[in-house]
Amino acid sequence: MSTVQRTWKVNGKPVRVRAPAGRRLLDVLREDLGLIGSKESCGEGECGACTVIVDDEPVVSCILPVGQLADGTDILTIEGIEKKRIGRLIQAAFIECGAVQCGFCIPGMVVSSYALLAKNPKPSAKAIREGLSGNLCRCTGYTKILAAVKLAASRIPAAKRK
Amino acid sequence: MTKRTSQSVRWVGQGMPRVDADGKVRGTTRYVNDVDYKGVLHGVVVRSPVARGILKGLVPDPAFDWSPIVLATAKDVPGENVVVMHDRTMPLIAEIGAEIRYRGEPVAVVAARTPELAAEAARRVRVEVEELPPLLTLQEAIAIFKATPEKLDSMKSQDIVKGDVATGFAAADEIVEAEYWAGHQEQLYLENQGLVVFPQKDGSILAEGSIQCPYFPVHELNDCLKLPPEKIRVRQTAIGGAFGGKEEYPTMLIGYAALPALKSGKPVKIAYERNEDILFTTKRHPVWVRYKTGVKKDGTLTAIECDFILDGGAYLTISDVVMFRGILHCAVAYRCENVTIRGKVARTNSFPCGAFRGFGAPQAIWGIESHVDAIAARLGRAPHEYRRQIHARPGDVTPTGQVLSKENGSTACLELALKRADFAKKLKQVSRGRLRKGQRKLYGVGLAFFAHGSAFTGDGEAKFKAKGRVELARLEGGKPVVDIRVSSTEMGQGVHTIFTQIAADALSLPPAHVRFPMADTGLVPNSGPTVASRTTMVVGNVVHRAAQDLKRQIEAFASLRFFQGAPAELRASQLVAPGAKPVPFAKVAKALLAEIGPASGFFQFELPADIRWDQATFKGDSYPGYSWSANVAEVEIDPLTCELEVKRVTAIVDVGRVINPTLAAGQVEGGLTQALGYAIMEKIGTGKNGLYDAARLQTYIIPTALDVPEYDVKFVEYPYSFAPPGGKGLGELPMDGLAPAIANAVEAATGRRLRQIPITPESIFAALHAPQGGTP
Ligand code: FES
Ligand code: FES
Repeated sequence: MSTVQRTWKVNGKPVRVRAPAGRRLLDVLREDLGLIGSKESCGEGECGACTVIVDDEPVVSCILPVGQLADGTDILTIEGIEKKRIGRLIQAAFIECGAVQCGFCIPGMVVSSYALLAKNPKPSAKAIREGLSGNLCRCTGYTKILAAVKLAASRIPAAKRK
Repeated sequence: MTKRTSQSVRWVGQGMPRVDADGKVRGTTRYVNDVDYKGVLHGVVVRSPVARGILKGLVPDPAFDWSPIVLATAKDVPGENVVVMHDRTMPLIAEIGAEIRYRGEPVAVVAARTPELAAEAARRVRVEVEELPPLLTLQEAIAIFKATPEKLDSMKSQDIVKGDVATGFAAADEIVEAEYWAGHQEQLYLENQGLVVFPQKDGSILAEGSIQCPYFPVHELNDCLKLPPEKIRVRQTAIGGAFGGKEEYPTMLIGYAALPALKSGKPVKIAYERNEDILFTTKRHPVWVRYKTGVKKDGTLTAIECDFILDGGAYLTISDVVMFRGILHCAVAYRCENVTIRGKVARTNSFPCGAFRGFGAPQAIWGIESHVDAIAARLGRAPHEYRRQIHARPGDVTPTGQVLSKENGSTACLELALKRADFAKKLKQVSRGRLRKGQRKLYGVGLAFFAHGSAFTGDGEAKFKAKGRVELARLEGGKPVVDIRVSSTEMGQGVHTIFTQIAADALSLPPAHVRFPMADTGLVPNSGPTVASRTTMVVGNVVHRAAQDLKRQIEAFASLRFFQGAPAELRASQLVAPGAKPVPFAKVAKALLAEIGPASGFFQFELPADIRWDQATFKGDSYPGYSWSANVAEVEIDPLTCELEVKRVTAIVDVGRVINPTLAAGQVEGGLTQALGYAIMEKIGTGKNGLYDAARLQTYIIPTALDVPEYDVKFVEYPYSFAPPGGKGLGELPMDGLAPAIANAVEAATGRRLRQIPITPESIFAALHAPQGGTP
């Protein structure tokens, strides 16, 4: 398989990547870049544990071949979330609401929550559920996760609600 | 975080944030696949391609380069080829000439530098089996049982007898009889199974990974690895969910990895991918349960006769105890003088079933709670009124002869659930198969009421004697740290946080002084497995008492060292003595560590001396304490598509003293959601080829954020006073009752009783179009 060479922005920093075009983004992040926060659970796009944000859209990185990502692609992973104000609000709300149990789904949940709130800082309850419907959690029953996203949204300063 | 406002603030009872939350929301917590184990080989299990047969040979492909591969077979088992669980029938790995009993039974393990190479090598081993006809499902086993009961291949049988059911049936006005079925359920922890075995220079092994019960392999692999317990050291990494699925199964996985590890002298990691994890790990036991009950016109239950048969799969492993817990929950929540319960574990040629949250109780409660509604219907009574009449209360005698104690919120749970759900009023609005005015969907509301026994059965805890330590052993950043040393594992349920709260209160220190390192059998005494709704009640008490013991030692030291022998007390992070200036805890602790060395408080759990249990007759006090709960489910069913939506669930819960209300509510919501999946979504069975018929998340469907109903969770507290701080079992209870509450609501909505879960649109459609009465 052909090898590709790319320069992306990962969590705000330029990163050079060389990998077979078919290599999964998740493997590049975890193995080549040491960003182990993104998790693999199903490996086939069904659970959301590997969710990262690519050019402002949440994607499941376990089924995304790196060959599809052009130079200049902007990637945000759980490791970069805390550099964002909304990201920190989400993380704090998850802790405060008791939204975390085993934690394995949580990086993906936080990333999906960020993708949602960055676009829609005042989501309805339904929009929150839909925004997280691609992320499975076996521990929490989602209730406290949904509450955490709502709480985080309520704390986004009005000015940021573009 | 909650602020300390005064010296009297206690941490127990507060919704303190989890001690491990920070790393989990930032993605820095390391699970086993996040650790870079340098130089490990990757192991892959080679499995039987058929469900039953005689293993004739293992033929490595001569065209393949085997030089970089470690191939281990039964010949490489150092000792006797047996995994010692509750019997000695299961080999670690099948031997040539022996009978294969399930599809996927391990026949060899290969290990190589990369997972890909190991997988390729595994494919290059030809497994030759002379096939025999298998018996794959519980349905087949029950057909045999119904035709000729003694022909059922039962791996374990146990009866519970109270009074005389013949007398009871003779006194009855009505006999109500029905059968209920439930299928497998996959734990579906999000983190797949994974662990690493490191062979040590002295011949011992160290295993680490996603392991729920580190002491199990220490005692279950001695014979096959020919290693004494002290030469098998096991420790947990962060666990991404377990729910019983990482209880006994990792013992086998350690055994598999140990073979190539011991053979090659190199560490071997086995990490499953989702597909392999679903296909080749344990599931919840399918059940067939038949109730025959006698009842008087006034509602008195005169007899309960019950057959409770689990599908154990191919080997017993731990299924006897799952069946025991099942039969102990078959009739425990209701008043009845005459009870006979017969439990069995059927052997089938399917993957051995194993531990899953609830451990037999959800299967039992699925049956009895459906059946109590059926009895109420026969009597023309409302389900809640009928349960008000017959439910067990303090002073009542259970089927095993246990007198229920006062520490029992049974009535409080039932009444509060009825009130908060507005049950009586909602029951008047149910559709019973016909849309009422204004309804666009069939509406139903259903109730379930149940108990869950906390801790090991009977006098198990008295015999086990859980041990634990709380140590003042080190400084961290110049500050003294108290370490909790017990074998309870953190799997997400929150034990690290609640034990921190318990130890902090017992020591009168803030939680910041307390640490709870990951369980490691090399470092912690055996406080037992993290199972059976025992951790908060039993090990929580051990931590409480051991912390008190340490506190006394610190106080004794302070008294001599700082207060000229005057009695000193550790209170709110200070040592205080009458008439003297208080000395900060940190100063005392540093002096103690410098002058005497580490100090350690210890406790060994005991049960009250009057607990009686006879394991042979199943008579006596079957559990030290019971948690109670009532669930109300409201459902809507589309009359055309038969799509079922659970709209609202009320769960009132008595788990004794609630240590952390936020975490406890999270446990309940999570358990209810697993029960929701069990009730209406999660469908998996043994297919004709011997494999599970759902192998991935595309086909095994669990609830998402769009599926969860609105939950109303409330606690009523009837603490277990013998073991402060008084928690009772919580983990399993929320898994127990939602399936029958939903089935009862479906009956109210459709007028048809469904006696098999999961209840799917297809099964509702079939029931609605059946001539009468629901599914058979
Ligand atoms: S691991 Fe990528 S969606 Fe499940
Ligand atoms: S917290 Fe365990 S899977 Fe979500």
